[in-house]
Amino acid sequence: MNNPIQKVTTRSLEFITEYLQRYMQMTKDEVELLLQYCELRYFDKKEIILKEGETDNYFSMVVSGLVRKYIRVKKNEVILQLATEGHMVHSETSFLTRTPSLVELETLEPTTILSIRYDLMQEALAKYPNGERLGRLILTRMYIKKDERKHDRAAKTMKERFLEYVTNHPHMLQRVPQKYLASYLNIKPETFSRLKHLVKEKK
Amino acid sequence: MNTAKPFLSYLQKFVNLTDAEFEQLLMPVIKFRNFAKKELLTKAGDVENHFNFIIQGLIRKYYTKGSLEINTQISTEGHIIHCQESYHSRLPSEYSIEAIEPSKVVSISYADLEEVFAASKKMEHLGRLVITSTMVLKDRWQIQMVKMTPRERFLNFVTKNPEMMQRVPQKFLASYLNFKPETFSRFNHLLKGHVRAVHSL
Repeated sequence: MNNPIQKVTTRSLEFITEYLQRYMQMTKDEVELLLQYCELRYFDKKEIILKEGETDNYFSMVVSGLVRKYIRVKKNEVILQLATEGHMVHSETSFLTRTPSLVELETLEPTTILSIRYDLMQEALAKYPNGERLGRLILTRMYIKKDERKHDRAAKTMKERFLEYVTNHPHMLQRVPQKYLASYLNIKPETFSRLKHLVKEKK
Repeated sequence: MNTAKPFLSYLQKFVNLTDAEFEQLLMPVIKFRNFAKKELLTKAGDVENHFNFIIQGLIRKYYTKGSLEINTQISTEGHIIHCQESYHSRLPSEYSIEAIEPSKVVSISYADLEEVFAASKKMEHLGRLVITSTMVLKDRWQIQMVKMTPRERFLNFVTKNPEMMQRVPQKFLASYLNFKPETFSRFNHLLKGHVRAVHSL
């Protein structure tokens, strides 16, 4: 079997262990056992990870880099997610229901992703001690995140959305093209530029 | 037990759960709760303590934006409704939940459900499958809201939920489908043609 551990640096192993321990107590050995089911995938900048119409075979987490998830609406693209280190990113419905994806995934930076394939995930859930529990807790967390985001998008004003986002993710202004951030926050590009002044004046 | 039967049937869509297992693992923690029309199940600012499954009635989940109430869920018999984010995070809810019709729900408290999961791997498995299914519903809804035009959303909704048009006040449906009440009235005309078209099939 493909053994990603040999390729996982000590640093990323620590990163993954720390991440999983947010959900439940896990020893390094347990994490390594779980990693036997996973694989690391490497992508260049601007590489498509998943196309519309393909079935997403992987449940994935970004180890390093940046991925955007978007959906085509007529001639436009609407950004649904900007995922960085530690974020789960895949087409949830496609992966979970084994149906063609409506969303696409593309890297914005050279990116490393830790993925577990659908069939191996089923095996891990069944065989790995506490696999079901870990799976439930991760999905629950993702669900809450999705819900919070939906709520923010609907309940907050544009200015609130902008200020909260740049305060919580200051590095993203450097890492992500402005048009993508604007689409993600559901703000017109020209309004986004205007709001950026607001941050500069504050400093 | 008989009253809880719809809940058992719902769970059996996910795993092969016997009557005896249901009786032994879940019945001890199940509470039946009844709510009058317009009564709150959960109030914004409170921590959600229950998982609820609707046995009978019609219930909405909403938040307030200024003087407006925005509905994020409107559910009938056979659906789960609670403030998941508050329930799981144990933080005050931003949403309220209110009965639109007199309603009966099956409820399990947070502490009880956690014990059920801890005690049985099968229940943990079931819990994962239920959360997976609600995740898929939420993901589809999100995509629908972005991808479909208001007109498409309206037709899609009434085709899939014809009975909701009778049961739910229009002002609730309008905010749920994210359009203005006046737009909703305009779409109603569209519906007459649509129903005729469906009937002539």
